[in-house]
Amino acid sequence: MIPMTAMAPFHLLTLGEGLEISFATDGISLLFMGITTVIWILVGIYAVAYMKHEERPGQFFAAYALLYVILLGLDLSANLITMYLCYELMTLVSMLLVVHNHSREAIMATLKYLFYSLCGAYLGLFGIFYLNHYCVDLNFGSTGRLDLSALAGHEQTLLIVVFLMLIGFGTKAGMFPLHGWLPSAHPVAPSPASAVLSAIIVKSGVLATIRTVYNIIGADFLRGTWVQTAWMSLTLLTVFMGSMLAYREPVIKKRFAYSTVSQVSYILFGLSLLQEQAFTGALLHVWFHAMIKCGLFLCAGVFVVICGCKRVDELHGIGRKMPVFLACYTCFALALIGIPPTSGFVSKWQLALGALDADVGFFSWFGPVVLLVSALLTAGYLLPIAMRGFFPGEVSCSEQVGLLEKKEPPLLMLIPIVILAIAAVMSGIFPTGLINVCRNLAAYFL
Amino acid sequence: MTHDFVQNFPLFCIILTLFSGPCCMILRGRWARYVNLGVISAVGVMSLFVLLDVCARGGSYVYMMGHFPAPWGNEIRVGPLEAFMALFFCIIMLLSMIGGAPQRLRKIEASKENLYYVMVNLLLSSLLALIYTNDLFTAYVFVEINTISACGMIMICQNGHTLEAATRYMIMSLLGSGLLLLGICFLYGLTGHLLMSNIKEAVAQLVAAGTYHAPLMVAVGLMCVGLAIKSALFPFHSWLPDAYGYSTVSSAAILSSLVSKGYIFLLIKIFYRVIGFDIICNSKIINIFFVFGIAGMMFGSISAARETNIRRMIAFSSVAQIGYIYMGFGLGTGMGVLASIYHILSHAATKSLLFVSAAGLSESSADSRELADLTGAGYRNASAGMAFTVGALSMVGFPLFSGFISKILFAQAAVNQSGKMLPTLIALALSTILNVIYFMRAVIVIYTPLRSIPAERREGYRRIRMSTYPQITVVFGCFVLLNLVLGLMSQPIVELCARGLGMFG
Repeated sequence: MIPMTAMAPFHLLTLGEGLEISFATDGISLLFMGITTVIWILVGIYAVAYMKHEERPGQFFAAYALLYVILLGLDLSANLITMYLCYELMTLVSMLLVVHNHSREAIMATLKYLFYSLCGAYLGLFGIFYLNHYCVDLNFGSTGRLDLSALAGHEQTLLIVVFLMLIGFGTKAGMFPLHGWLPSAHPVAPSPASAVLSAIIVKSGVLATIRTVYNIIGADFLRGTWVQTAWMSLTLLTVFMGSMLAYREPVIKKRFAYSTVSQVSYILFGLSLLQEQAFTGALLHVWFHAMIKCGLFLCAGVFVVICGCKRVDELHGIGRKMPVFLACYTCFALALIGIPPTSGFVSKWQLALGALDADVGFFSWFGPVVLLVSALLTAGYLLPIAMRGFFPGEVSCSEQVGLLEKKEPPLLMLIPIVILAIAAVMSGIFPTGLINVCRNLAAYFL
Repeated sequence: MTHDFVQNFPLFCIILTLFSGPCCMILRGRWARYVNLGVISAVGVMSLFVLLDVCARGGSYVYMMGHFPAPWGNEIRVGPLEAFMALFFCIIMLLSMIGGAPQRLRKIEASKENLYYVMVNLLLSSLLALIYTNDLFTAYVFVEINTISACGMIMICQNGHTLEAATRYMIMSLLGSGLLLLGICFLYGLTGHLLMSNIKEAVAQLVAAGTYHAPLMVAVGLMCVGLAIKSALFPFHSWLPDAYGYSTVSSAAILSSLVSKGYIFLLIKIFYRVIGFDIICNSKIINIFFVFGIAGMMFGSISAARETNIRRMIAFSSVAQIGYIYMGFGLGTGMGVLASIYHILSHAATKSLLFVSAAGLSESSADSRELADLTGAGYRNASAGMAFTVGALSMVGFPLFSGFISKILFAQAAVNQSGKMLPTLIALALSTILNVIYFMRAVIVIYTPLRSIPAERREGYRRIRMSTYPQITVVFGCFVLLNLVLGLMSQPIVELCARGLGMFG
């Protein structure tokens, strides 16, 4: 059904010797393209209504459409060079979305975003330079392109380089220590932009990591090395730290941004285990987290634009005014926490089982513990909004919410949210198809 | 055209430019301008013919002037690399002259305009001579001509800054030429020749016999330092920011992208054709280049990041880019030199674009060069804003543009060198990040809407449409195209350079 190995690549042009720009389809690229397209359509519909509240909608949509093309290019890249090209273009165009309202904070946040992203990308580029010398070629068509005879004696250096690449591509995925751009960039961007930033752009870091580790280096090379240990530690640290920061954060969009930091590291943790079931869980979480977090940021957009609330404590009583909308929010919250039968449960279950099964010693039980603690924290930072929204208690309503009339958000904004909420729940009840696809991919790589 | 005729073209080019210089002195400003543009174009066309001829014949040739054999006659050597450089320099010079014309006409007194073209023609003739000559002493003579005409170009708009800058340039540059001359004298004393190929034979004999090692190294060192000063290698760059920052825009563009590159090209010729590349590589000189090149990359970028004047910022970035080129020499391999040559091309195409577009941005912002005053300039002068963005992205090393290819070439050259690999790759990464900091900051400033600065500071701001200076818009288009060609179709150019370099040996 889904091709595992790349089809014959489409060759676009040659930049220089050995630097080819070419595109090909394989299982991973289809998986990422699928979620990108779904999210892009839904957020696009939402943005039509949302951008009436912002200046220069034309500029936003131009960047939005351009970014879609670039992301498809990224997903379809057939070698590291093409991927790097699209990765950089993506940074540049997504920068336009972040800087959209041109306020001072937006510009500062954009500079921060640009600085982190380019630092990360150049760590990756540094690795590409190095790999170029020690690989047969940089194409994605197989599960390991290392040239072992050329590599003999340089294994340690290569491990250092791989570690730097993991940190570099981890920047986009919000992995500690270069996660700092996420909480700054999300609040200043328009909400549809935050939604795609959190749902899709951060996943490109995941994609780049999969490509580097599984397609170019090969999982066997890393298994049992210090790089794997360090990688697992960093991701677990990020999972815990992101949840903790989100728990303490009063600004809604920043809270969701920290939540992204934590949740994307679930995926990276799954990848770092180099184990089949964990890999399946990671791929599933790519899909599920994209849907859920996209939905949450679309909700945040409603909070900000319709209700005029930026902080969590301003939302008391919102459920009385917009019941359907807040019900959707509650679905997203439950799915992200991972309560059965929602989608988040499926992916986290696979991740935990994979971790217990993996031969990584201490981490095989410590990983699931951290995931559990983080799930508790997730409940702690997402559910209060829903509870206080429906049951404000004595204070009945906050000031801002009290001024609102009893009316759901505009249909164009509500429909994408409802669709995502239904998808987030239903894909947990009927996950078999997607699981099979991810399993096949995992079996191919491991 | 037959080879018998085309082979004279390099000499024609040098003679034409050399004599059209003085001719401009008796012409009025406007006619001098036309003569100048005509001469540059003619030289470009002739260089193209030479390039095609050399490529078709697949080899280089030595041209004896007046058919006198050495040591009595003077020689020109023509190969693919030389012809390509001459063509490329002409293109850049033509674009810089057209692109800088409006500002030049406003700033230079009408009675002095023709003098400027005298200088430009002489400069071009000296650059061509540096590219083609096969004789070390001729090279020295044209180095001096180059220095003097460059000084004239810096101080053509006479105000305090340019006079000071020209004086500094003069002092540093003459020091450089003095050291070069000393080096040539030493070498003449050791070998008894001035013709490059003869010196190389004699040097090879000296090295084989193991005699005169110290004097030979002193001579090489003197020449290297002399040319390093003239091409503004860190720490000899003190003359550069003022000279590029305050002179008129076409001077800045030509000085940064061509003049310093002419000296570097001469240095490459000295490496390959005078001393022998193996001898250079076995000496410690390349390590010194490597260290100072990397130091220049760092220092230039840090200074640029601290600069608030956009022209001086671009000028400091030149220090960093020159550092890249010397770092490439420092790697001590053919690949390294090849990467440096490619960086010469890419930097020339980008830096002149940046200077010309920065001038357009200042013009729309009451002629201010302060970054803060350029807020929103990208909207007031759309073509300059786009051009500046492309230039900045190329400098940062964004894929698609020329800077990326030269960085990849440096990295590829470095990976073969076990000891110098990590420093090079780390230096490349750090300097790229520093480039991002200051170039992206400038791009964001020029695209920030005006409402963030108070109305009283907006005095003198005006909108410049593409139709105001159609020729400049075309120039921007050509520059961007040049950058894209260097970034997207690098392979034939790299091969051409590699072949030319191979014929140097």
